[in-house]
Amino acid sequence: MFENYQLDSLPQHQDIVFKPLADNALLYVQLSWLLFYVPLMLILAAVCYFNDKFASMAQLPLLIALPIILILSLAYNVLSVRLRGIAVRNHDIAFKKGVIWQQVTILPLSRVQHTEIHRGPLERKLGLGSLRLYSAGGMSADLSISGLSHYDCKDIRQFVQDYTQPTHSNTQLNDATISEAPSNG
Amino acid sequence: MDEQQWQRVSPWALVYFVLHFAFRFIKDGIFNLLPIAVLFVTQVQNKLFWGQVAAVVAVIALLIYSVAYYINFRFCITDEHDILLNKGVFKKERLTLSFLRVQNVNVAEPFYFKPLGLVNCIFDAAGSVSQEVILPGVTAKYADAMRERVLTYKENEQEQSSEPSTTDLAEEQSQRNLTLSNKEVAKFGLISNMAILALAALAPFMNVLFEFLEEAVINRLETFYEQEVGMLVNAAALAVFSILFLVVIVAIFLSVVMALIRFYNYELYFSEGKFKRIAGLLERHQLSVSLEKVQSISIKQNLIARVLKRYTIQCFQATSGHAIGAKNKQSLVMPVLDVTQVNQMLLWIYPWLDQTGFDLKALNFKGVERALLLKNLCFYALTPSVLLAAFSYVTDVINPLYCIFIFALLSMFAFLSYKRYGYYFYQHEGRYYGIFRSGMLGVQYRVFELYKAQSANSISTYFMRKSGLKSLSIQLASGTVSLPYLKKDIANGIIDFMMFQAESEKRNWM
Repeated sequence: MFENYQLDSLPQHQDIVFKPLADNALLYVQLSWLLFYVPLMLILAAVCYFNDKFASMAQLPLLIALPIILILSLAYNVLSVRLRGIAVRNHDIAFKKGVIWQQVTILPLSRVQHTEIHRGPLERKLGLGSLRLYSAGGMSADLSISGLSHYDCKDIRQFVQDYTQPTHSNTQLNDATISEAPSNG
Repeated sequence: MDEQQWQRVSPWALVYFVLHFAFRFIKDGIFNLLPIAVLFVTQVQNKLFWGQVAAVVAVIALLIYSVAYYINFRFCITDEHDILLNKGVFKKERLTLSFLRVQNVNVAEPFYFKPLGLVNCIFDAAGSVSQEVILPGVTAKYADAMRERVLTYKENEQEQSSEPSTTDLAEEQSQRNLTLSNKEVAKFGLISNMAILALAALAPFMNVLFEFLEEAVINRLETFYEQEVGMLVNAAALAVFSILFLVVIVAIFLSVVMALIRFYNYELYFSEGKFKRIAGLLERHQLSVSLEKVQSISIKQNLIARVLKRYTIQCFQATSGHAIGAKNKQSLVMPVLDVTQVNQMLLWIYPWLDQTGFDLKALNFKGVERALLLKNLCFYALTPSVLLAAFSYVTDVINPLYCIFIFALLSMFAFLSYKRYGYYFYQHEGRYYGIFRSGMLGVQYRVFELYKAQSANSISTYFMRKSGLKSLSIQLASGTVSLPYLKKDIANGIIDFMMFQAESEKRNWM
């Protein structure tokens, strides 16, 4: 009943060394954000220009708040991109992300149902792509990784497609071996 | 029926098509017609005449479409073990479903086919409703023969590609069965949320209903109460209360009726690792589920079920993300079971539970960390109570003392929820299982074999990391199970072991 386990012998995901996203990933995230934010600021500026009543009420707070939000958002993006990382192991893919809620997701390659690569205009310009890996039962992609180089996207997709599950139960997994399971205590 | 050739289904299938498209029209199209309905109500003078004309046109269109659909509806069983289906009127479609991709072959016997001895044969494709093939109006004998053929072919293929040991246990088991009396099924109406569904079905008509109730019932009740009870209580309030009481009674009644329609004369058979369930009042629906296809089971008991000492077991199969709601109808529900029946079911599904004396409550569940209780008390009890106290202080609408009562109530809910969370792992003959417990007033156990995990996810905030805690979320092919606030080492250990199981286990998870 899950006794005598030796956790040390399990392949431990907390030891994974994550690879950072592509060099252009930060630029892509910042530009994507600005493409949303700058038009929003222009619209607010236009409203202030044409509507004196609104301007008298909101101009000062907006002039203070909007640059602060912009700077904070850009700083948040820097942190967010730095904290993201991907690791492809022999039998699974791991992805970490998040600033406030830090998440690590591990998806076994044998569970991948299909893969997609998405490339928007900005991503194409910067040589980037978004990789989406789907398994069964999820409402959306189990792993959605943006900010990878297009080459990495294709490379990982090929690796996933070529993957075949080991046929021997004593196969060494992720360069480690296992003897027992976690316990209830 | 001749094989290897394109075949048509029986002309009686037209009845199925007419009803099917009528139902689809009501379900999917009614909201699109709302603007026209508004125009009709506000602009058209002779409503009765034009309403009749519209109804006749709709019925004729439905009949023509159904006949055209029937003419184009042809199927073929190929030598390569594929089911080919040509269908469609305006957009013609060719659907190919390999025997290997068929998850179940179900047989439904609608009431209008009963005198004719015809059934609907449903080839359920794994995880996709759009790939499902339904052959309406075939003979019961043909449907049984098709099911046998598909399942035998699949078994042969799987035996060739994998070791036979996985089904040994199941094959040893002789056929066993469980029947539920309709009195028991009616209890499911009381404990399920079908009452809410019934009310939701009435939602579009609520305005009309309330107007009618106000005119026809409430005013009269008010007059009645005024005469009978006079000055003792507020007659209007009593009338509204009476109506609310009536609505609840009607909802419960509808819920019981819906439960009976769905599970009437419930029969469940278990043989050679397969469940076969037959139930239904208007349509005798036969559902087959292979034990190997079950991704997880849930054992639920809500507050009413606790009073009635009944449980509901649900066996979930794989679902595709976009079709979770639609495929829920394919999950095997054992609606209302007493403790003995629960034990019997668990023996069929997970024989290892035998060793625990069948009592889930007796299992030594490990709880989650106390930090969860503190967080929930802070966010879901203290904060709302303080905000309400501040609001009541400013507006003087309610007595701030009530906030203490609300805080106590919310705290109790937070505590019950915290105490319910638990996990238990078990190993039996080289197979590893997990049981996750959750709930508040009720309780839910989710049991699954670890190797069926699709992915694992851990989440932690800054404060959780400081305290060495992590929340865990496991994606199964039948949904997500989660455990909040575990010690970091335990969460990591569970994830690592689960991934090891998923990556090293040779058995097919699907």
